[in-house]
Amino acid sequence: MLETLGNLGLGFSVALSPPILFYAFVGCLVGTLVGVLPGVGPLAGISLLLPATFGLDATRAIVMLAGIYYGAMYGGSTTSILMRIPGEAASVMTCIDGYAMARKGRGGAALAIAAVGSFVAGTVSVVGLMVLAPPLAAFALRFGPPEYVALLLLGLLVLAYMSSGSMVKSLAMAAFGLLLGMVGIDQMSGYFRFAYGVVELGDGLGVVPVAVGLFGVAEILATAGQPAPPSVIKPKLRELLPSRQEWRESAAPIGRGTVLGFLIGILPGSAHIISSFVSYAVEKRLSKHPEQFGQGAVAGVAGPESANNSATSGAMVPMLALGVPSGPIPAVMLAALMVHGVSPGPLLIQQQPALFWGFIASMYVGNVMLLILNLPLVGLFVNILRVPYPYLYPAILVFSILGVYAVNGSVVDVWIMVIMGVLGWLLRKLDFETAPIVLGVVLAPMIELSLRQSLAMSDGHYGIFVQRPISAVLLAVGLTLVLLNLYSFARRRSDWRTRIALAEKGEESP
Amino acid sequence: MTRRRVLAAAALALALPLVAVAQEPYPSRPITLVAPFPPGGVADLTARPVAAAMEKVLKNPVAVVNKTGAAGAVGMQFVAASKPDGYTLLLALSSISIIPEADKIFGRPPAFTVDQFAPIALISADPTILVVRAESPWKTAREFLDDAGKRSGQISYSSSGIYGTLHMAMELLSHAAGVKLRHIPTPGAGPALTALLGGHVDALASGPAVILPQIKAGKLRALAGWGDKRVAALPEVPTFKELGYPDAEFYIWAGLFAPKGTPEPVLAKLRDATRAAVGDADFRSAMDKMETPIAFKQGEDFQRFFDADARRLAEGVRKVGRVEDKK
Amino acid sequence: MSGVALALLAVAVLEECWRLRLPLGTLANPGPAYMPALLAAALLVSGVLIVALGRDAATLGAAGWAEWRHTAAILGACAFVAFALERLGYRLTMALACAFLLSVVERKGLVPTVLFAAGMAAGTHYLFDTVLRVQLPRGLFGF
Repeated sequence: MLETLGNLGLGFSVALSPPILFYAFVGCLVGTLVGVLPGVGPLAGISLLLPATFGLDATRAIVMLAGIYYGAMYGGSTTSILMRIPGEAASVMTCIDGYAMARKGRGGAALAIAAVGSFVAGTVSVVGLMVLAPPLAAFALRFGPPEYVALLLLGLLVLAYMSSGSMVKSLAMAAFGLLLGMVGIDQMSGYFRFAYGVVELGDGLGVVPVAVGLFGVAEILATAGQPAPPSVIKPKLRELLPSRQEWRESAAPIGRGTVLGFLIGILPGSAHIISSFVSYAVEKRLSKHPEQFGQGAVAGVAGPESANNSATSGAMVPMLALGVPSGPIPAVMLAALMVHGVSPGPLLIQQQPALFWGFIASMYVGNVMLLILNLPLVGLFVNILRVPYPYLYPAILVFSILGVYAVNGSVVDVWIMVIMGVLGWLLRKLDFETAPIVLGVVLAPMIELSLRQSLAMSDGHYGIFVQRPISAVLLAVGLTLVLLNLYSFARRRSDWRTRIALAEKGEESP
Repeated sequence: MTRRRVLAAAALALALPLVAVAQEPYPSRPITLVAPFPPGGVADLTARPVAAAMEKVLKNPVAVVNKTGAAGAVGMQFVAASKPDGYTLLLALSSISIIPEADKIFGRPPAFTVDQFAPIALISADPTILVVRAESPWKTAREFLDDAGKRSGQISYSSSGIYGTLHMAMELLSHAAGVKLRHIPTPGAGPALTALLGGHVDALASGPAVILPQIKAGKLRALAGWGDKRVAALPEVPTFKELGYPDAEFYIWAGLFAPKGTPEPVLAKLRDATRAAVGDADFRSAMDKMETPIAFKQGEDFQRFFDADARRLAEGVRKVGRVEDKK
Repeated sequence: MSGVALALLAVAVLEECWRLRLPLGTLANPGPAYMPALLAAALLVSGVLIVALGRDAATLGAAGWAEWRHTAAILGACAFVAFALERLGYRLTMALACAFLLSVVERKGLVPTVLFAAGMAAGTHYLFDTVLRVQLPRGLFGF
């Protein structure tokens, strides 16, 4: 422990040196900017800006990239809350309650809660990263395909909590989303599926165009033509800050989101997206007022935003401790290290203590910086809503198209976004929810690949899922949850769905 | 100003560059170098120093554009279909020879064919290395192959995806040695390495740069390489050729291509530029940092290498065939 | 109505699997059509359920389609952008699309239209292409 503190001292001496501080600041600023733009999330941000860091030395470059990474995670919530456009895939859940809050004039509060939640999550998870990195990394590696199948099945249960409307409709949407996730080359056999000769569909439908289309574009399509343009929300300064009650309601979700996000983030794969879905479901399950979710529940913003930020630190664990790219973002960071002549690997911490501890320390510094940067920006961002809609929506459209295009440089992605926009608009008319589709698109490729990998590993024996301890435990948890739900569903008494249904029918609540 | 005059002025402004473009010595405007994989991948990390070095020689900007998708097919198809004027170039990896073959197997109209490209130069060619976990029972490649012969289909390996480079390397080996291994595809080289380190598979064929730190840290053991010669960084690791499997030869290479039909003077200029670029000190240090030795080949040499490689890979893909058909 | 559409989609998926001859595989060794077929079946069932249970639900007509003119115009603009982006180049396409939305759809005057369209196109291009170094397509005229 003492050694860790000594090392951290070394780290801070690196991180607080003016040049490093400067690059951390630039990274945070650019990251926030990139994150605010619809569609461009941390992965796209880092990939696009990686070449710009080639001229710097290793520590500066990695500190700046980490700043971009963090900044993009912070900034992702902004457009989600204000305009219902997911700034990045992990902010999809924030769209739902965050935007509902903004419509009620609590946009400033939602942004502030998101920023503070991100700060807490970021700081706490860096402590986790520092203290627990080596043992956790070893654990993360044991998470193979069978464990992933179990986790993802658990993830699918999340669906049950995501919707506030009809269960059957949510299930239909989830099945549809999972089907969309099947598009592209089958990684196990090399077959092209549902690509209709479009080579660009080979890698499947990206989460970004689907999410931006279903949420952002659909929102514009539905709103722009309203006979009375949406009233311009004029925020008062006093209302920018969350009320005491809102703080109270978001404290526990922030804590839970942090722990959950960190644990999920360590696992290989695009875990930070899943972490926000899971956190939303957990909050809804634990909430005393689940019926408020979807109508602007502050817990629905605090939980997922904390979770996705803490997952980003979690993702650094296997990368720094073992030199293993555990997901697409750490993979780009590893490449950045290699470009600068640092060979990432299990020996990184011993061989490059200044780099490692400087990086850790600059993560603390970066989080503080982002909080200072973001809280005043809340006031600025909220003022975007003052722009009259006829000017606002073409601008949003331009940024959406640009963001979606920039990620892969592909017009096909723009088409996907447009088509998903129409679909999202139609589905809203028909009272379907679109979040399950996004979840399906995220989960489908992973769940299919892991399932088939597991069976290839075991030569077709399903026993592999119960023989391995981690997956067996996860499956048991899932089964328990299902049984618990069936039980309460059977009893009906405490089921809020029925309450809503009854209330909607104008009958007296029991 | 009236509206009409504004329009006229705008039209004039738009027309000007059009006149300027006609008939100028190559290169007179920015060149696009397409890397068909996302930033941070081998293709991208090779393309950027190449582009920077070529810029100095050609005195024109060379911009790297990542056109990603479908295992590189999107970017390659883009270049194959672009105007052969020397302003759109491709930095391709070995997969350029694999994709059309895989398309053929499935009876798909191929996204592109290899003869749609004019090779300019080979930049690097890294043989893959067979690695296992340090605590695994196999100390040598011989032991590994003997065991694989005894326990047919029991020893598993991960790859960067079906028909991916890491898959093809293993397939060539298992055919050369007459053994059957179990293939577990993953979505990329990173996840493939993670699967090996996590103990979910037994072996992996990988490029040297990625696994060197893991070998140094004592996590992995290198058994043998697919190269013509031993890898400089791993002098004690034999090649499969030495062990008596000459057919197990495989490289992860990166080369520069132009679309077929690019005029010969332009190609000559590009060849000169790449030769000069490869000698550039910045370029050399960039490749050094990535532990990727430069293997420069041009003209006839490159064509020969490319043809031999394409032949080997085509045969490899055909031997794999459609996975589902075999079962 | 929506249920029927979903069920039809499911049938289309199944038909596509069959047409491409995607191997279904076995339970122990699932093929490329295994998951899609399973999901399509789930979709089919839920589609039928929606039809069966949703008799009293809002019908297509009741949803209110008053804004369809706007929606169609915006979609048209999006489609134009997607089509023209790599042909006309980024700045020209975006300027045209913005001008269309503002002048034709929103009936704003000439001055705000031109200012907004030019500002948007040039501004975003500067931000992405110049500052963030994202390559944006240039069209015919080097724009």
